[in-house]
Amino acid sequence: MTLADPRSFALNPAAFGLPTRDDLVKLRIWDMHYHGFMNGGIRGHEENMFYVERMGIERMLSLDIAGTGADPLGNSIAPEKKREIREYLEQHADRVSGLIPIDPSQPVESCRKMEEWIARGPCVGIKYYGGNPGGVVCSHENNDAIIRLAAELNAVIYIHTWMKIGGKPRRPGGDNERGESTPMDVALLARRFPDVPLVCGHSGGDWELGVRAVRPFKNVYIEFSGSDPHSGQVDYTVREVGVERLIWGGHGPSRSYSTELSKVLDADLTHDQRLQVFGGNLRRIAAPIFKQKGYKL
Amino acid sequence: MGQLMRSIDRRSFVKASLIPAALPLAAVLASRSALSAQQAAGAAPAAPDIIDTNVHLFDWPFRKLKYANTDALVAKLRNHRITQAWAGSFEAVLNKQLDAANRRLADECGIRGGGVLIPIGSVNPAWADWEEDLRRCHEQYRMPGVRLYPAYHGFTFDQPEFIRLLDDAAKRGLLVQIVLRLEDERVHHFATNIPPINVTPLADALKKTPQAKVQLINSAGPLLGNNVPALVRETQVTFDIAATEGNGGVGRLIEGTNYSYRGAIPVGRLLFGSHAPFFPCECALMKLFESPLSLEQLEKLMNANARRLIG
Repeated sequence: MTLADPRSFALNPAAFGLPTRDDLVKLRIWDMHYHGFMNGGIRGHEENMFYVERMGIERMLSLDIAGTGADPLGNSIAPEKKREIREYLEQHADRVSGLIPIDPSQPVESCRKMEEWIARGPCVGIKYYGGNPGGVVCSHENNDAIIRLAAELNAVIYIHTWMKIGGKPRRPGGDNERGESTPMDVALLARRFPDVPLVCGHSGGDWELGVRAVRPFKNVYIEFSGSDPHSGQVDYTVREVGVERLIWGGHGPSRSYSTELSKVLDADLTHDQRLQVFGGNLRRIAAPIFKQKGYKL
Repeated sequence: MGQLMRSIDRRSFVKASLIPAALPLAAVLASRSALSAQQAAGAAPAAPDIIDTNVHLFDWPFRKLKYANTDALVAKLRNHRITQAWAGSFEAVLNKQLDAANRRLADECGIRGGGVLIPIGSVNPAWADWEEDLRRCHEQYRMPGVRLYPAYHGFTFDQPEFIRLLDDAAKRGLLVQIVLRLEDERVHHFATNIPPINVTPLADALKKTPQAKVQLINSAGPLLGNNVPALVRETQVTFDIAATEGNGGVGRLIEGTNYSYRGAIPVGRLLFGSHAPFFPCECALMKLFESPLSLEQLEKLMNANARRLIG
């Protein structure tokens, strides 16, 4: 296997009923769920750019800026590492945008980080990880100050949600991590902030239940990466909430772009609807902060 | 290369079904392929056809599937240049009357398979009289292989019956497909409790039956765990790519740099499998292009390895 030219293919995908790279580029794909910086930092991201290029992804929103699952606020990250990533985001603002992890068990410190990285920095949003050291889910009242500030800043708000089966009695969400939100938590938050767009990540994992939990809340968008690709998932979600509320995520490099692209390719959507799901809807909610920062939409 | 594996039409399939069991169906398919290659001599090279080794028919017990209808599934596969698909039955997953499920599967493939579907029956070595199910799959339904569901059927790889089944299947020249997972355990229905299968005893079992032709289906890296090196070095087991994850996952798996696999799997041991209609068949297809694979690697993945396995 040679990594020389990401745009070179031994066979034409169109011969197999698939979109070509040019077709994918025309869909203007924005990746709401990019983990390229998660483990390998900038180097890992740059290595992964081969696949970003190959699959025609236009822009990635990275969810791991200056924070980790164990340390969402990034207190253990060296200042020079933070400076390095900040400069990288400023220099590559045409291709990659940053969301910063926050920690709802530390709302004051979370707001301080938002001021530093969003109000006075290159980042465009916040990310709730799948759990946090304090075990606080997104529906807890601690989040109100965080969401109010995010709304003031026009920040994109991404909330990881899952419903892992388990517990006693066995139930969806019964095996969740401490502080790992469910779509039902997002619904409670959405009720308190009906004018603030919220992105319910992973469709709750168990998408048949997750979609229904947030369906009544028009300000909740559904991102559906990070779970196995089930045929019919996107058709179902569009039927329940409308195509204007779906947002695509790639979840690379841990998930294959093929996995996530196929969820949409499987669905009975028009070209215009695919444009909406692959990036149009995300560009709509990100437009205010992108315009503020002078980023290309 | 693209003309080597022509699909067989319905009449060909019926004729193949009437031959003696001693002559495996695969041999008939191979002779058809050779004929097609001769017919295609001189034709312009085309993209290779694909053999999908991991398809199921009918409905998943817990959800209506978009392509549960066999006609719709076959049309979908054809749209993606999949000209042969090894089809199991979702009815075999939870039904106790496996013979009825196998019979219906054989009938459906014969009547609606359009020359694309090759029936792969199911046997549960943990249940009494499984030898008769195996015999019927082979002799009565003319199936070239059987598919096992250890997680759903409640047996492990160190049980003597499992090893005996491998041995019996090998004597009959039957392929054994072992389904390591059908659905992510995190989203199983709350009324079921189906833990991940323990793969660790598998290499030893396969070493006891070196003549067995075995393929692992939906063999995701985390399920294989630390067993990849032993399975690759010490056995001849093959794998499908339906559950191979990660950006460039297939290429990285071949290279040994796929983070979710603890070891490399050579391209000669990988087969195309889509897990359709549970997964969109576009998923596995796109994986072939997400990795920068050579034409030679693609041909192996798309059909050559599968032909070799079932032949």
